[in-house]
Formats: sequence, C-alpha cells, structure tokens
Amino acid sequence: MKSVVTTVVTSADAAGRMPSASDLESVQGSIQRASARLEAAEKLSAGFDAVVKEAGDACFSKYPYLKQAGEAGDNQGKVDKCYRDIGHYMRLINYCLVVGGTGPLDEWGIAGAREVYRTLNIPTAPYVAAFAQARDRGCSPRDMSPQALAEYNSLLSYVIESLS
Amino acid sequence: MLDAFSRAAVSADAKTACIGSGEIAALKQYIAKANTRLDAVNAITSNANCIVSDAVAGMICENTGLIQAGGNCYPNRRMAACLRDGEIILRYIAYALLAGDPSVLDDRCLNGLKETYIALGVPLTSQARAVAIMKTSTLAHINETNTEAQVAESNSMLQQRYNKMATVKGDCSMVSAEAASYFDRVISALS
Repeated sequence: MKSVVTTVVTSADAAGRMPSASDLESVQGSIQRASARLEAAEKLSAGFDAVVKEAGDACFSKYPYLKQAGEAGDNQGKVDKCYRDIGHYMRLINYCLVVGGTGPLDEWGIAGAREVYRTLNIPTAPYVAAFAQARDRGCSPRDMSPQALAEYNSLLSYVIESLS
Repeated sequence: MLDAFSRAAVSADAKTACIGSGEIAALKQYIAKANTRLDAVNAITSNANCIVSDAVAGMICENTGLIQAGGNCYPNRRMAACLRDGEIILRYIAYALLAGDPSVLDDRCLNGLKETYIALGVPLTSQARAVAIMKTSTLAHINETNTEAQVAESNSMLQQRYNKMATVKGDCSMVSAEAASYFDRVISALS
C-alpha cells in the first residue's frame, strides 16, 4: 500500500541501508499534515450517509435520462448500485485521507474501473457529476477546517480525473 | 507492505466500513508520538554498528566454541556473515518501527529465515541470543539508559566511544515496548 512511510522504506530497502536522516524528514513532513487529513477522514465518516445521498441525488438530477427504460438506472436495483458505488469511492477517499496517499483509491477503486464501466455499459459522467457536487458542497468552517477540506477536495478531484 | 495507517485501511476494507473515530483516535496517538518514534529510529540507525557488533561479541563471549576451529563463526568469512545478518535484522526492525507495523519485517526478513538458517547449519539458539542482546542494547539506546559502567574510569578512549543522543527526555515507554515486540517477533520466528 503506497504511502509516504512505505515509499521511504521501499527505497531504503532497495539500497540496503538504514532509514537516513532525509527519510525521517519526509516521514515527519507527512505527519505534520496528518492531523488535517485525519480530521477530514473523521468528519467524512461521521457524515458519510448524507454525503453519499447528496452526491447520488446530484447525478440523477443532472442526468434524469438515466432513469428512462433501457438506461443505466432504469430500475431501483440499478439506482441503489449507483449510490453503493459512490459510497465505495467515498469510503476509499476516507482510507486515502488516513493513509496520506492515493494507494487505496488506486488499488481498490481506480484499477480496472474504466474497463468494468465500459463492459457494463455504464456512463462515467454521472459519477463525475456526483463527485463534483460533493466537491462543491464542502464548506470550510461549517464542515471541516480549511486544510482538511483542501485534502478532501484534492482526493475528490483525483477520483474525478480518473473517471473523466 | 503496510504502515500503521494503511493497516487501518486494510482492516476497515475487510469490513467495508469507513475508518471511524475509534481507529482514528489510535492513529492520532501515532502522530502525537511521531517525534519520539523518529528519535527512536534515529537512535537505532546511529548506533547500528555498535548494537550489532556488541551483540555478536556478547554471543561469542557466552559461547566461545563459535570462534574455535569448526565453530560457526570460525573463519572471518563466517563471522562477517554473522555480523551482516545481525545488521540486516536490525535494519528491518528499524523499518518496522518507522512504519509502526511489523508487516515489512515479516514479509521481507522473517519469512523463511528459520528454514534458511537450518539449511545453512546456523545454530538458531546463538542467533536468537544475539537478537536478544540487540534488543537490550537497542532499548537502552532508545530510552537513553545506556551506561558506561563496563568502561574503566581511566580508559578515556573507550569513554569517547560511548554515544548518547542529546534528545529531550520524554516518555518513550510506548515506542520502546513496540521495538521490544519486534525483537521478540524475530526471536520467536527463530525458535
């Protein structure tokens, strides 16, 4: 799982040396930002269901055609799966906030997603609309501190980039 | 390879649950104690040679047969291999301590180590004893309780070798207990 610490350890191990002073510095650097990340992760998990619902609602209100017959959301089961997928991405964002890298999203969310969506004939634009809504909806003093919101938004942008 | 943070992600993913306040509180502990941890890793890396050579020397003092003809440390080549292995084990313990998770130690060092030593005819009890001595001296370096009791007052050259990091005194009990657990992990993997 890619994170600052594992990257440092992997490169030190490849060279067969003890963690150097600069390795310790980079771990220290990531830890200084960690409290904002953990705050965002904590707030996201506290408001998880509401965030997922709002994001899912946004994609069906922007693309109402999805609920027409023959489209990707033409019955309740498919609509539920859309919300579930958004929930999965949000959960992985929660993990990424904790880990301090995009490892969980890369390994469990993004790898193969494009192929799966193409095979199942699911458009990715509605997901983009959902995460864009989540990104626009976050508000700094109300939801979390500015630094925490910046970390959260950058991960939402990362998901949006991967789906665009 | 995992660290304390990705370990939380992997175990939450197994339950398809978010990482909630409970787990995050534990991680905040890691962050609050991060400087202690980095100082501890620094204490290991800065004294690695001393820790390893002391441990191997101690192991041999207790069992001098090792350096007599036919012993497992007898020609310099095998003694060098022994010192090298001690350093490798200590290095992986330093990695595990930095990561706050033993997975790197397990995957890259301990996996198959015992079988390798058995195949090469390395005595496991001696190796485990060397690791136990490394544990004692590493903990002394982390807690800065290393003493110069063994060095004669008059021997100024040896006293100069005695190394103490000039860090601020703090509570190292958690990180030293964690380091001790990694050494115990190695010892139990060898026995």
